[in-house]
Amino acid sequence: MRDSGRDPALAPRDMARLRQQMSRGATRRDVMRMLTASGMTIAAAGMLATRATRAHAAAPQRGGDLRVAGSSSSTSETLDPARFGKGTDYARGFMIYNGLTRLDGDLAPQPELATSWDSADGRVWVFKLRSGVTFHDGRPFTAEDAVWSVLRHNDPETASRARAYTGAIAEAVASGPLELTVTLSEPNYDLPVIFGTFNLMIVPAGTTDFSRGIGTGPYRLTEFEPGVRSVAVRNENYWKDGLQHVDTIEYFGLPDESSRLNALRAGEIHLTTGINPRSSKLIERDRGIELFVTRSGTFSDLYMQKTDATVGSEDFAAGIKALLPRDVIRSSIYRDFAEIGNDQPIAPSMKYFDDGLAPSGHDPEKAVYHLKKAGVMGQAIPLVASAGVGNTLDMALILQQAAQEAGLQIDVQRVPVDGYWSNVWMKRPFGFGTITQRPTADMIFSLCYKSDGPYNSSKWQDPKFDQLLLAARSERDETVRAQHYADMQALVRDGAGTAIPVFFSNIDAHSAALKGLEPIPTGNMMGYAFAENVWLDPA
Amino acid sequence: MTRLIAKRLLLGLLTLWLVATLVFAVSGALPGDAAASILGQDATAETLAALRAQMGLDDPLALRYAHWLGGILQGDFGLSLANGRPVAEVIGTRLPNSLLLAGLSTLVAIPVSLALGIASAMRPDSVFDRLTTFLSVLALSTPSFLIATLTVLVFSVWSGLLPALSNIDRAEGFGGTLRVMALPVLALSLSVIGQMARMTRAILIGALSEPYVETAILKGTSPLRAAILHALPNMAGPIVNASALSLNALISGVVFVEVIFAYPGLTKLMVDSVATRDLPVMQACALIFCAGFLILVLVADIVAILANPRLRSAG
Amino acid sequence: MIGARSLPRPLRLRRPGGWPLLSLAGAAVFAFWAGIAVFGGLLAPHAPGEFVDSWDTLAPVSAQYPLGTDYLGRDVLSRIMAGAKYTVGLPFLTAGLALFAGLVLGVSATLMRDAFDTALSWLMDTFNSLPSTIFAMVAVAGFGTSIPVLATVITVLYIPSAYRNVRAAAQTVSRLDFIDAARVRGESSLYIIFREILPNILPNLLTHFGIMFIYIALLLSGLSFLGLGIQPPEADWGALVAENMVGLSYGAPAVFAPALCLISLTVSMTLMVDAVSRRRKEP
Repeated sequence: MRDSGRDPALAPRDMARLRQQMSRGATRRDVMRMLTASGMTIAAAGMLATRATRAHAAAPQRGGDLRVAGSSSSTSETLDPARFGKGTDYARGFMIYNGLTRLDGDLAPQPELATSWDSADGRVWVFKLRSGVTFHDGRPFTAEDAVWSVLRHNDPETASRARAYTGAIAEAVASGPLELTVTLSEPNYDLPVIFGTFNLMIVPAGTTDFSRGIGTGPYRLTEFEPGVRSVAVRNENYWKDGLQHVDTIEYFGLPDESSRLNALRAGEIHLTTGINPRSSKLIERDRGIELFVTRSGTFSDLYMQKTDATVGSEDFAAGIKALLPRDVIRSSIYRDFAEIGNDQPIAPSMKYFDDGLAPSGHDPEKAVYHLKKAGVMGQAIPLVASAGVGNTLDMALILQQAAQEAGLQIDVQRVPVDGYWSNVWMKRPFGFGTITQRPTADMIFSLCYKSDGPYNSSKWQDPKFDQLLLAARSERDETVRAQHYADMQALVRDGAGTAIPVFFSNIDAHSAALKGLEPIPTGNMMGYAFAENVWLDPA
Repeated sequence: MTRLIAKRLLLGLLTLWLVATLVFAVSGALPGDAAASILGQDATAETLAALRAQMGLDDPLALRYAHWLGGILQGDFGLSLANGRPVAEVIGTRLPNSLLLAGLSTLVAIPVSLALGIASAMRPDSVFDRLTTFLSVLALSTPSFLIATLTVLVFSVWSGLLPALSNIDRAEGFGGTLRVMALPVLALSLSVIGQMARMTRAILIGALSEPYVETAILKGTSPLRAAILHALPNMAGPIVNASALSLNALISGVVFVEVIFAYPGLTKLMVDSVATRDLPVMQACALIFCAGFLILVLVADIVAILANPRLRSAG
Repeated sequence: MIGARSLPRPLRLRRPGGWPLLSLAGAAVFAFWAGIAVFGGLLAPHAPGEFVDSWDTLAPVSAQYPLGTDYLGRDVLSRIMAGAKYTVGLPFLTAGLALFAGLVLGVSATLMRDAFDTALSWLMDTFNSLPSTIFAMVAVAGFGTSIPVLATVITVLYIPSAYRNVRAAAQTVSRLDFIDAARVRGESSLYIIFREILPNILPNLLTHFGIMFIYIALLLSGLSFLGLGIQPPEADWGALVAENMVGLSYGAPAVFAPALCLISLTVSMTLMVDAVSRRRKEP
């Protein structure tokens, strides 16, 4: 559980403080608090608090059969990148495919199948592609494959989950055997980041049957049964050097958390994911098992639709935002593996986060003032929540308790997770959504807060915000861009009908023998790209 | 006898049709559909419509029913909505696993519970009988998911004797398969043994007090011999019937075992297909369970008839 | 159909003329839980949803929290007391309803014409051929997980077995001479049902009720494990076991306490069933 390079190593002064605290018998929680307060990442703090010292990772070892258990299992698992929707799919995707770019620990795009890219105006982009890359079936990778892999998202028949951010791609052509030219309908300097996301992995041109999983990736698929397991073996013709440490990777889903942990403790799997923060305390006692915590910008938001007569008023939103006991949510639900949120979707770990924005605190008096003004006291306000959507049900219960103390009656209505996203989310005026970390501020804002954004759950409309968003997207000057994003954060915090109590970390658990994990905030297990990076230490 | 079986088979087919229709009707009432489930949070109106059209979800219910039933009559169960593979193929990979699990559990459960039941009935109220009764009651009173997780803890996490996951596809050879199957079979048979041992004991004690058995014992036959030679054959019907019923309970217990041991069987497939609204797979699974149960009951009846000559003429 | 199996002779330890001691103990345990089911919500030291200690989760037994805290830092004792009304009440209610429906259908089948009997029996067998957990799962997925839905689904599931049992018992009774005698006397069907058939099949019904109770309690806990049972923050004991499962290997009382409660409930019911079924067999 080494921390990523971008986080500053613990300064000697802090280390001294830490030792002093620990010698005074500080609890893990005290240490966590102290470290996160001093600006350290949760990941680093958790690691230090869990184990004060740790030998540095040794050199990678080659060989071994890696077994990994994901946290969900479904017969709808797929190898079609356009339909990737769960961690299980993403993890398999990174075994067998590559993207044109890949996102590093700072979510910056790095060369992958594209070696370089440039755009003069943010509209027309030229990507130089890597030569000498072959697909698993021996075909060489060319610009035609890239064109096909990009354009298929715009065909409704593909039913792509990336449709929301590939819509601006007006044209993609092979301007040379190894050169891709993409023309956008409006400028967007984040295109290389979009190309590094899960759904835009590269498949051979013309593929319609994805069951064989032919890609350019580090591992070659030998077995795949949706909802059961996949087995992949090292691709000996891989274009990258010095990676792909393990010989084979077996991957399967185990939805029951205690089964996952038992399998890990019994030594039958090396890595697993989706660990509830509340299990962390128990896992920390286990020798031979380590937690891997990735600080991320994933959040669950409580939305109040502007179009609704009861919950749509500004006073109601302001009241609820002041009512949320964020610290209780953080400690009780997330055991401090979370950072307090500010009702705007850019997490402190993300680029363009505005730390000048005053935090939204728990203020019952202010809440009562606004709620009274909204005229909702004495009514029972229905709030939908599902135990299957993040920890939103627990959040709803905590809010319900706080509301009761303030004199507001919230009627928590529990609904099953099956069909939640199609029938409940954004259809009911007062409820929860969960937005996983997106790589850029632009993507989050476009999806969730633009007037016509597909996830604009509170139905918030602000022309000024929309203008700023477009301006930031096509702005090359970083300072101006940052200012635009800061303004947008303020607009969302005060205007939109969404309360964002915390950003929570991704927690994985792995055997001590597994090395090489580095946090990438787009998801668990290195943003699901663990396959070519980890190794098994025989010692 | 043949006429009886033919009649039962015909009735069974009728039952299957009713179940099929029932399941179809219920599945039509489920909120959400496969397209929405696949696209999840990322659904847009356009992609959703395209996917629904591809899956044929826009057709009226009656048409879908006719199409589906017509397909089944020709042996075609359609395509899985979740992954586009033929339902027969999806089920084909899972059904043998489930049969193996159920078969092995039955092979373990029936002899063990018969032996325990007979032994207890021989010496009612002995220490052995009390202990058996106590353990049986305990086994059948404990939720199966708890039994399954406990066996993992004891035999796998703490002692490392057996694998915690049933990776049946990668098991090597007969020995490997047995090792992999050991824990699921143990977890599954425990509660069945609890039930069947109690039943056998009760039925046998009842039979041993019948006049003709008592006469045999008085004539000098040992009680065990009397039980096995005289009482048991006459009691075979009820015992087999009861066994068929506990096997139905066993199928329900399989759900937990398959989830906890990540065993790729039919019930887990059905749980998944309900969640993804993969109706063709869900319906096919329901039909298989129903058919399996009907066959069990039929076999139980035939055994009962064969074992009891008095019933033979009744058909 | 479950009731088709009879139960073993009870243990010898018995009070002269009455129930065996063990069965009496079972009755006492059951009465205790029934009391908790009625008053547990009032007596519980904390509200079942209250976060008493949101940091020290899955805590061991302590003076303050006699059965420790659960995975969210809630008081396990309070949650068990509050959950009793579901674990005891719901099986009691649904087994009762199923038995009533089975009784009406079963007695009608006995008294009506053969065609009706055959059709009804076939229909019931059809229902019975679907594995209960899976049937419940599909139904709950379709209609949601509210308590009325759960109660309806479980009742419907157990009607066929109750029907089978009532019908078998009623048919045995109705062939006996005194029923014919009543018919010859010109008694009405209602008289025959209430004065002649019912009293004679009552022990059988009670036994079957007890068995259904056990099966339903276990089914409910299984549904909770699959996330389809009683929804949080309320929880039946099976849900309490399932939601704290991670604590199992660490010996957390949050898992063992509700599991032991559940087992004690089903065992106590089994012991009572034994006593009733023994009386039934005795002349």
